[in-house]
Amino acid sequence: MAETTMTAPNVNASKARSGEVVLRTRNLSKRYGSRLAVDNLNLEVRRGEIFGFLGPNGAGKTTTIRMALGLITPTTGSVEIMGEDIATHRARILPRVGALVETPALYTYLSGRSNLRAVGSVLGGVSQERIDYVLGLVGLRERQKDRVRTYSLGMKQRLGVAIALLQDPEVLILDEPANGLDPAGIVEMRDLMHRLSDEGKTVFISSHLLMEIQQMCTRVAIINLGKLVTESSVEDLTRGKGEFAVTLERPTQALAIVQQQSWGKSAHLNENGALITLAPGGRGRELNVFLVNAGFAPDTITASTQDLEEVFLRLTNSGSGGTQIQ
Amino acid sequence: MSTVMTPAAAEHTHGPVQSARPSFVGIMRGEFFKILHQRLNWILLILLGGIITFPYLIEFSLPRIKAGLTGPASGQLTFFYNGMEANLAILRIFIGIFLLILTARVIGLEYQLGTIRILLGRGVGRLQLLLAKLATIVLAALALFVLAIAYNLLLSTLLVSLVTGGLSAFNALTPQFWSDSGLYALTVLISMGVTILLATAVTSLGRSLTVGLSVALAWFPVDNIGTLFMALAYRLTQNDFWLSITAYFLGPNLNTMASVVLPLRNGQPALTIGAAPLVFTVGNQVHGIVVDGTHTMLVALVYAVIFAVVAVVLTWRRDVME
Repeated sequence: MAETTMTAPNVNASKARSGEVVLRTRNLSKRYGSRLAVDNLNLEVRRGEIFGFLGPNGAGKTTTIRMALGLITPTTGSVEIMGEDIATHRARILPRVGALVETPALYTYLSGRSNLRAVGSVLGGVSQERIDYVLGLVGLRERQKDRVRTYSLGMKQRLGVAIALLQDPEVLILDEPANGLDPAGIVEMRDLMHRLSDEGKTVFISSHLLMEIQQMCTRVAIINLGKLVTESSVEDLTRGKGEFAVTLERPTQALAIVQQQSWGKSAHLNENGALITLAPGGRGRELNVFLVNAGFAPDTITASTQDLEEVFLRLTNSGSGGTQIQ
Repeated sequence: MSTVMTPAAAEHTHGPVQSARPSFVGIMRGEFFKILHQRLNWILLILLGGIITFPYLIEFSLPRIKAGLTGPASGQLTFFYNGMEANLAILRIFIGIFLLILTARVIGLEYQLGTIRILLGRGVGRLQLLLAKLATIVLAALALFVLAIAYNLLLSTLLVSLVTGGLSAFNALTPQFWSDSGLYALTVLISMGVTILLATAVTSLGRSLTVGLSVALAWFPVDNIGTLFMALAYRLTQNDFWLSITAYFLGPNLNTMASVVLPLRNGQPALTIGAAPLVFTVGNQVHGIVVDGTHTMLVALVYAVIFAVVAVVLTWRRDVME
C-alpha cells in the first residue's frame, strides 16, 4: 500500500459526476464462437469527464470501443452516445465523436497534412485553418508535408490524435493514445486531455499507463474477461480503508501503544517505517490528539491511499499471473 | 522529437468546423484525393499510355502501311478496321489490368492500413463507403476510357498525317465503321465493368490489398489457361462437358464478346485477343457450345451480379476487425 495525497483530477470528479450521460452501454455483449469477449457490460460516461477504461490484455477493451464506434456489431445489448442508439443513428452521432482505435491507422503514402485533408473531406467543412490548428495542437506543423511513412511511432500517434480532433468532436474515444510518446509527449497529452475536458468535451480513454490514468482521469472502469469489475471515481478507488499514515519518531513504541487501543488492533508499520493505523472515531484529528497525549507528536498525518496500479492488479488478479476475478 | 502538444497552438484559431453527416459526394471526393496522390497510379497510367502508343509505332515502321492508306477506299477502310479492332482489343486487356490494380488498391489499402476504422468511426456506413469507392472507380475508369479513346484518335490522326501527308484517308470511313467501333467500345466498357466488380469482390473477401491484388490479377490468366486444360481433358475423355464448361468461363466470354457481337466483315469476325470458349468440329459434328452475343452478355451479367452480391454481403455483414 502506498501513501499519496489526492491528485488534481479529482477536483473535477464532482463536476463530472453531475453531468449528463453522453456514452452508455446497456448489457453490451460480444461473443466469438464459444468465447465471450464482452459480457453484459454496463457503463456510463458523463459529459466533461475523462473516463479511464482499464483492463488486462484481452479483457475486451478494444472490442467495446469498436462496438461503440459501430465497427463491430454487438451480439446483445446496445451503445448510446448522446442519448441515441449507435446501431440506428450512427451517421448522425459518430461525426460528433473523434476516435483513435489501437495503433494509429494512417494513409502512409500521404503527408500528415494530406491525411487530415483526406479524412476531412468525408464529412466536409474542415477548413485549412482547422487543419493548421490541430497540427499545431499535436506539434506536427514542422513535419506536416512529410510522408507519414517517414514518421516515428510517436508522431503517428500524434497524427492519429489530430485526426480524432479534426472535426472538433464532443466525445473523444482514445485507445492507448500515449503509445510511442516520449515522457514529455505523455505529459503534454495529459495536459491536452485536461484542456479538452475543461472545454466540456468528454474523453473516454483506454490505456495501460496506470499512473497516467490516475493523474488524468476523473473516473475509471476496470474490466476483466469481458466483465465489468468496477466503475468508480479515481478518488474512491484509490482511497484507503480509512487508515492514516503517520510519520513520527520512535514508531515502534508508538505502534505498541496504538495496538493496545480497540481501534488500533490492525496497526502496523509500512516499508518506510510509517505507522499505518485506523483513527479513533475514524478522524485524523483524534488520532493526532491521542498520539500527542501519548508522547508521540506526529511529524505528518495523511490519509493512506492505494495507487491505481495496486487496485488494478488486485481487482484483475494480474499480479499473481492469473486473470480470474476474485 | 520530444514535444507534442504545443501551448502556442492554443493561440491559433480553431478554424470553422461544420458538423455534418458523412456524404456520398464527400467520400468520393476523399477517394479521388487519395487516388490522385498515389504515385503508383500515375506510373501505371504512363505505362498504359506507352502500351497504347506501341502498336502505332509498329504500324508506322511497316512499309506496307502507305499502300494501305493511299490505295482504294476499301483498302483504307480495312486498314482502319484492323487498327480499331487491334487497338480496342489491346485497350481492353491493359485497361482491365489497370482497373484490377486500382480497384484492389482503393478497397484493399483501406483494410490493409486499417484506415477503414477511421472512416467508419466517423459515421460512414460500410455499404455507403463501398458504393462510394465503386462510384469513384467507375468515374475514374470512364474518364480513363474517354482519354484512351481520345489518345487513340490523336495517334491515328498523327499516323495518317505522317504517312500520307494529309487526312483525306479518313474520308473512307463509313457510318457502319463508326457503328461497329461504338459496339466494340461497348464490349470494352462491359469488360471494364465486370473487371471492377471482380476486383471489388475478391478484395472484399480477402480484406487486404495483397489477397485482392493476387486473386484479381490471377483470375483471367487462370481461366484463359484453364481452357487449355479443358481441351486436354476433352482429348483424354472425349467428353463434351470439358468443352461446354468453357462457355461459362468469364475470361473467354469477355475475350470473344466483340467478335460475336459485331457483324462479320468479309466473312470474318472482329479481331479479339485471348482464349475463346472451346468448340471442336469433328466431321460435321460440333462439340462444345457455340456462343453468341446474347450468351456472352448473359455470362458477363451473371458474373457481375455474383461479384456485386459477394462484395455487398461480405462488406455489410462482417465486423471490421482491421
